Amino acid sequence: MYKKKGPLALFLIPTFTFLTFYLYYPFFMNIYNSFQQIGGLGESGRGMNTPWYENYLKIANDPLMRTALKNTMVLMVLTVVFQVGIALLLALLVDNIPFGGKFFRTVYFFPIVISATALGLLFNLIFLYNGGMLNQLLMNLGLIKENIDWKDPNHYFLTMVLPIIWQYVGFYFVIIVTGLNNISEDLYEAAEIDGATGLQRVRYITLPLLRPTLCTCLVLAITGSLKVFDLPWTMFVGGMPLDKSWLTGTYMYYQTMNMADVDYGSAIAVLIVVLGVIISRVANFLFQDKEDY
Amino acid sequence: MKKSLATILALCMSATALTACGAPSAASSSTAESTSQAASSSTDAAASTDSTTAAAATEIRVVTSYGGDDGNRANYEDAVKGFEDATGNTVVDESATSNEQWKAQVKADFQTGSEPDVLFFFTGTDANEFIKNGKVVSIDTIRAEYPEYATNMLDSAMPLSFVDAKAYAVPSSGYWEGLFVNKKVLADCGVEVPDANTTWDEFMADCQTIKDKGYTPVACSLAEVPHYWFEYTILNQGDVAKHAEVPASSTDAAGTRWAAGFDTMKEMYDKGFFPTNTLTAGDADTFQMMADDQAAFAIDGSWKVGWFTGTDDAEGNVANIDDYTVTYVPGAGSRKATDIVGGISMGYYITENAWNDPAKRDAAVKFVEYMTTDEQVNKFAAGAPTALKSGIPEVSDTDSLHKAAIEMFNNKTGLAGAVQDGLNQTARSVLFASVKDIVTGTTPAATAIETALATPLAE
Repeated sequence: MYKKKGPLALFLIPTFTFLTFYLYYPFFMNIYNSFQQIGGLGESGRGMNTPWYENYLKIANDPLMRTALKNTMVLMVLTVVFQVGIALLLALLVDNIPFGGKFFRTVYFFPIVISATALGLLFNLIFLYNGGMLNQLLMNLGLIKENIDWKDPNHYFLTMVLPIIWQYVGFYFVIIVTGLNNISEDLYEAAEIDGATGLQRVRYITLPLLRPTLCTCLVLAITGSLKVFDLPWTMFVGGMPLDKSWLTGTYMYYQTMNMADVDYGSAIAVLIVVLGVIISRVANFLFQDKEDY
Repeated sequence: MKKSLATILALCMSATALTACGAPSAASSSTAESTSQAASSSTDAAASTDSTTAAAATEIRVVTSYGGDDGNRANYEDAVKGFEDATGNTVVDESATSNEQWKAQVKADFQTGSEPDVLFFFTGTDANEFIKNGKVVSIDTIRAEYPEYATNMLDSAMPLSFVDAKAYAVPSSGYWEGLFVNKKVLADCGVEVPDANTTWDEFMADCQTIKDKGYTPVACSLAEVPHYWFEYTILNQGDVAKHAEVPASSTDAAGTRWAAGFDTMKEMYDKGFFPTNTLTAGDADTFQMMADDQAAFAIDGSWKVGWFTGTDDAEGNVANIDDYTVTYVPGAGSRKATDIVGGISMGYYITENAWNDPAKRDAAVKFVEYMTTDEQVNKFAAGAPTALKSGIPEVSDTDSLHKAAIEMFNNKTGLAGAVQDGLNQTARSVLFASVKDIVTGTTPAATAIETALATPLAE
């Protein structure tokens, strides 16, 4: 069975066919569309743009696109540092407690199973100007005398980023916990016999052996932050306030759906993919263990 | 043995997968066949029971915006059932909730040749494309064969196409835009409810009084829905006749009016008449201020009356409906306060495909006629304006807000269609997205208008 690969290939064909039609064909069409002039959703191309790379020039000169890229890059760094960082910390703590591990795994993973749109609405109520939970709390504690607009230009970024980071910590937590489970207990016992402290065991055993898992988390965090959409769109429709909160994902959607500029939206989508591939390859190169190549 | 077994299993799995790939078409075709048989048998059955319609019984595809949670969904279902029972025809309903995506889907259907037989759709620039391509039939053409078609409608109220100024859609219900007022807030501030004689300057002075008293004068999200103030601040720069003009540039007559309208909004923003969070809040958040007795005025459409009073499916949002009323937006210049924004924005189209199909033509015409009888139109309109010759029926047993709305509409001196309908989606989006930049002084109104008009796809 294992010498003849033919039957195995047969199993791969249906999925390959499915992906060809529903992923790769749309993907390549999207690249083609980014050079076309398209009047709106559902319309076919009116011909090539003049020049054909017009949308890419537009990306380079669009100040809102620059805002989106800047915000996305900052979000990416925060995602990697805080989402993966907090997830790693929680995973190490949960891995070292003698009981209740399953309970904490469920608790920390729970935000993932809630729809991001529902979470967006939830946080909208928390940060609401009139009667929002946070303003009421601060008011009752006497910390503020007037409501704070948490979405104004002074507060919007934190208001947007906190829910995003909070939502996905559990996702990376579960991946890292799985990685920790794969590390042999024998290594820890041997280190303990040799007199290694808890921190030394983490530094010299856990982190090096978690490197492939952390690399996976890193790639997922980078690509995830490039295309994050639903939660920020629910909370900050239309790039509010004053076009300051655009992210690459929300700006692509806005151009495609609201402005009916389908070809420009396609070009932004291509940029997102290109950035995702480049940045994750660079991250992989920097952090991947050489033996893994 | 194991190898043979594995090979057989592999072949079976692949065959299953491939069969599965092909199955839907077979299954769907058989399903379609059985559905079609069922449809035809039910049609036959209906036809045999109704001898008057025996020859015409057929199936028509209908797309409307009465899908999902639309307030008229139940009325629509009742009407479709009534039509089917009365004529023996079958309606394949493909309705959905109206939004930009739905509009795009309808347009895509026309492009791919899969348009419905009857379409309930917008009559503004959104319909330009399929009218330009001859995909729908004009009312004049239909009347040549069916002289009584839509004769219960005022011809003067028929929405005319932006393409060739011909009427294509039979209007169902229309809309008005007016000034909703929180009388409780006004009473606390010692301010009278604006009426037909209130001038814009008096209104601004009232807003200042209300603001000084600690209330928000105007509940409006400039971030999400600046549309209504856009319409009225521009209407105040001209009159009903001029309102429909879309500028070619920011310096022509219409462009100057638009810029002045935007400047009025900026002036109101600078004076703090809008909510503190008008640039970051949604429409639902700001409008809630009316219910919470925090704001005095809000401009909105006829559809908003239900938000106050409640509908069959939902309770109203205010404690006491008598604390609210709707009145004219104060006028300036040559515009009288009683000149209001309103009109007909949607209607029933019959597509060229259905018209050219002898089996479907009659059914499509009968369907539109059935949906636009006086009774049906009034049921769907629920007090909103219509194009019926018979006008809005007298309603005695209704609440004070509905009465005020009917009185306002019936005493109007002019009706101007929303000028934003003259812009395509892209230009409209660019223009409204720039309102925040105009009021904060980041972008001059004239520049914002030029940018919207120069949008590549704005034709």
